[in-house]
Amino acid sequence: MNGMVTIARKELRDAVKSRWLLAFAVTFAVIALALSRVQGDAGDIGDQGFNRTTAGLINLCLLLVPLLSLVLGAAAIAGERERGTLATLLSQPISATELLLGKFAGLAIAVWGAIALGFGTAGLLVAFFQPLTDIEHYLFFVLLSAVLAAAMLSLGLLISVLVDTRVKALAGAVLLWFFFVLLYDLGAIGIALSVSSSGRTLVGVAVFNPVESVRILAIMSLESNLEVLGPVGSYLTERLGTMTSVILLSSAVVAWTVAPLVAAAQVFRHQDL
Amino acid sequence: MLRADSVTKRYGSMTALESACLNVEEGQVTAIIGANGAGKTTLFKCIMGLARFEGRILVAGKDVVQHGKAARRLIGYLPQNPALHPDLTVRETAIFYADLKQVTPARAHEMVQEAGLEEHAAKMVGALSGGMRQRLALGIAQLADPPLLILDEPAAGLDISARLDLRKLVTEQRQKGKAVVLSTHWLEDVPYIADNVLVLDRGKTVFQGPASQLGAENAPRSRLYLRLNGHSPEAMDLLRAMPASRGVQRSGDWVVVTCAATEKARVVEALVGAGIGILDFQVEEASVDAALIHLRETAEGRN
Repeated sequence: MNGMVTIARKELRDAVKSRWLLAFAVTFAVIALALSRVQGDAGDIGDQGFNRTTAGLINLCLLLVPLLSLVLGAAAIAGERERGTLATLLSQPISATELLLGKFAGLAIAVWGAIALGFGTAGLLVAFFQPLTDIEHYLFFVLLSAVLAAAMLSLGLLISVLVDTRVKALAGAVLLWFFFVLLYDLGAIGIALSVSSSGRTLVGVAVFNPVESVRILAIMSLESNLEVLGPVGSYLTERLGTMTSVILLSSAVVAWTVAPLVAAAQVFRHQDL
Repeated sequence: MLRADSVTKRYGSMTALESACLNVEEGQVTAIIGANGAGKTTLFKCIMGLARFEGRILVAGKDVVQHGKAARRLIGYLPQNPALHPDLTVRETAIFYADLKQVTPARAHEMVQEAGLEEHAAKMVGALSGGMRQRLALGIAQLADPPLLILDEPAAGLDISARLDLRKLVTEQRQKGKAVVLSTHWLEDVPYIADNVLVLDRGKTVFQGPASQLGAENAPRSRLYLRLNGHSPEAMDLLRAMPASRGVQRSGDWVVVTCAATEKARVVEALVGAGIGILDFQVEEASVDAALIHLRETAEGRN
């Protein structure tokens, strides 16, 4: 446990030192602010408050958070392995599982910090220009982003223990990001056309993609009417009900966080260095 | 303190280590000798839990597979090529490893001083010379004052003075009652620093026993080239009569004496004692390979 905390602290310190996360936070804050201003200039914001900013941020966030988290997770173990420091670390009184969990915890706190800083700064600035309504949706979306980051970090760490070099790990992370964020939609359309276009099938497909699960959850928090989601929305509202849908999708994201981490620990514990 | 029973490590169809056994008591130094690829580092990796293996390894009664963390708490390990985080300073590195080993930051500062790196404490590890990095890694291995030190080729890349420091360190550890296991290419050091020796050749044990037994016949041979100030015939007779000598030849101005690596000084001493002046001398050190070939042939002869 003590070793895990030491590793987590080092990860956090490295993340702060590298300034990547600060750059991410600043980028996020600037984009969030720009979105709110653009939408403000378009008029009709008085009755929308933070919802407009949140809606504008969803797609951006669903692109950036998974990419950042997957890349950081993938580099974590593979980078140590490539530098030879992994053997040095595992020669200390620390277990492979503790090392992995320490890395996960440190990176998760770092990414959450960046998300909080980015969204927080943007939120504060937006509050100056827009009425402070619907802020709970904005905060819920910040929370969703944090959960998505954890799931993607977990997947990144699984990639990291499976490959031997940083380049391979980063390539794997980008490929997975490409699949979840870009190829998934094509796959879902393919399934709708070739297998079934029923809401049930498409919800089933959605839970196999944490990014999509978070997207649906975010939209559900903004819109009471889920027609915008097509058959998926109809199935969720009419057949499952809001509460069951939230539980189903949230569980899927949590499972995406826990399962890859457990798999990574299993693989890592039995690896030769 | 350390007991390894029939440790075998296979990588696919290749056997890197075959049924290696080791028993190291407190206050004992064991040297593991072998050429590159002999299985020395593989054995160390098995002890440190960095590689899976067949057999059993116990550190102070703790199984390194089942209680790896507890076993590693008792070991200070210096790998062959110590890899430390280059983006941490010397001080940060010491504190980081002190934290992992659950020793105080004060002890980490003390270690930096002991390693002679106080002046470089604020330097990034990546900016240190190879020798300094080796000293830091050795300091880290000793941070928690472990009862067992495992040093993988600790003398590699060190100059003579650093090698002497290392000998001193090993002797001090033995005097403190610590167990030390080290691998080395410097065969002539072995009789002076080790109590026991394990010689590995392509994963197989070809010699195991007290270091004194490795001497004499099994000892690696060195060649001593001597240019003498006259008295050559007398010198040749004297050298041929010496028990340490394994062959004496003339080569131009030089007299070439083949002897055990540990007996070089005696040859010189005998000549000087007989009043034969030495104008110049050169030493061709024994190679590990030559010694291993001899040991392998001896082992095969026994089988």
